Order: sequence, then structure tokens, then C-alpha cells
Amino acid sequence: MDEPLIVVVLLLVAVSATAAVAVRDPVHQALVLAVLGVALALLFTVLQAPDVGLSQLAVGSVLTPLLLMLSVHRVRRREKGRKGKAR
Amino acid sequence: MNGWILTATVALGAGVGATVWGVATGPLRRRVVAQNMSSAVACPGLLLLSQGFGRPAYLDLALLLALLGPAGTLVFARLLSDDLAADPPHARGVTLAVAGYGAVVVLVLCAVTGPGRTMAKLLLIGALLIGGNLVASRALSGGFAASRRG
Repeated sequence: MDEPLIVVVLLLVAVSATAAVAVRDPVHQALVLAVLGVALALLFTVLQAPDVGLSQLAVGSVLTPLLLMLSVHRVRRREKGRKGKAR
Repeated sequence: MNGWILTATVALGAGVGATVWGVATGPLRRRVVAQNMSSAVACPGLLLLSQGFGRPAYLDLALLLALLGPAGTLVFARLLSDDLAADPPHARGVTLAVAGYGAVVVLVLCAVTGPGRTMAKLLLIGALLIGGNLVASRALSGGFAASRRG
């Protein structure tokens, strides 16, 4: 009965997931992944699985980007330190 | 399929579609703003879906998103503060428009549900959504850099 809604949200998930693969820079990828997490939570809600959506929101929109950004931050700092030593 | 779900379909398709486009292309300052807007657009959509499906329990999702969405944006604002300080985003118009959209949805749903626990929850979600969105938007446009300077 809600086919248009399901189709629209499925399209959102497909487009944002494709974008997450196509974007090359890790920082930009973390941003796309945060949006993909929200889109997936919407999909689970539309498919009447709000409990799955709740955990997806917590993991997809905060935890995954946080982990990615922390590792990018650490790698960048290490590279900066190595350059400083070389000088 | 009722009017609420139709409205949610159009709003989610246009709003989240625009944020996916914004986050996938363009300079970094546009991408962080689009990421911030994605939660601010999806949260009113979840409110409309909860009303459309006739399940007040689905409001929990919107509550969690209103709490965690700005938290996720603050993570980016904090860890990217050096990059963003060089090229700060200015998105006052978009932020205010999306905040106004959220306020309209919350007020309409409050008028429909009438006084009670659900209405209190709706008002809480609205306050968290708009407040968190404005704070995160301010942090993106230089809040962290300014606090570090002085």
C-alpha cells in the first residue's frame, strides 16, 4: 500500500551507497556514510522495523563516521610529525 | 496511503535527495552543511511517518535522530576544524529554512494530536531538533576555531 514511499527511500539508499563507493577521499566518504546511515534508518522504518532503525541510527550516523574521522585524524597527525622530523 | 505518508514521501524524496546530492559533490564546506541538513530533514519526515502509520512508538526514532544528528555533526566540526577554519561554511539561509520546516511539522502534528504525553514528546523533539541544528551549524561555521582563539 505504501509502494511509492518504499521506492523513494530505496532509491535514496541506492544513490547514497553508490556515492559512498564513488567518492575517493576518506573524509568525504565519512560524510557520505553518515547520510547513508540516516537513509538506511529511514528504509528500516518504512519497512516497519523501527527497532533495527534505532540501532542503525546510532551506529550509522554517529559511530561509523566517528571511528573513520578519528583514524584519519591520527594518520594525518603522524604524517605531520614525520615531516617535522625530516626537516 | 494517506496524506501524511504522501507528504513524508515528497519531503523525504526532495529533502534527503538534495542532501545526498550536496554531500556527494562540491567543496568540503558544502558537504558538511549537507550532512548536518540530512538529519534535520529526516527527523520531521520520521514524525510524519509516525503519524501516517498511526504508531506513536515510532516517535522514538525521531527523538534519537534529533539527539544524535547534531552530535554526529559536532564530531565533524571538531575533527575538521582546521580545514573548515580556512574555508568556513556559511549556510544561514538553508539552516533557518530547514529549522522552520521542522517547526511547522511539529506544530501541525501537535495541533492534530491534541494535548497529552504525545504532544509533550513532540515538543521535546522539536526543541532538540531546532536547538541542536542551530548549535551544530554554528560550530561548523567557526565555533571551534573561535573558541580556540580566545
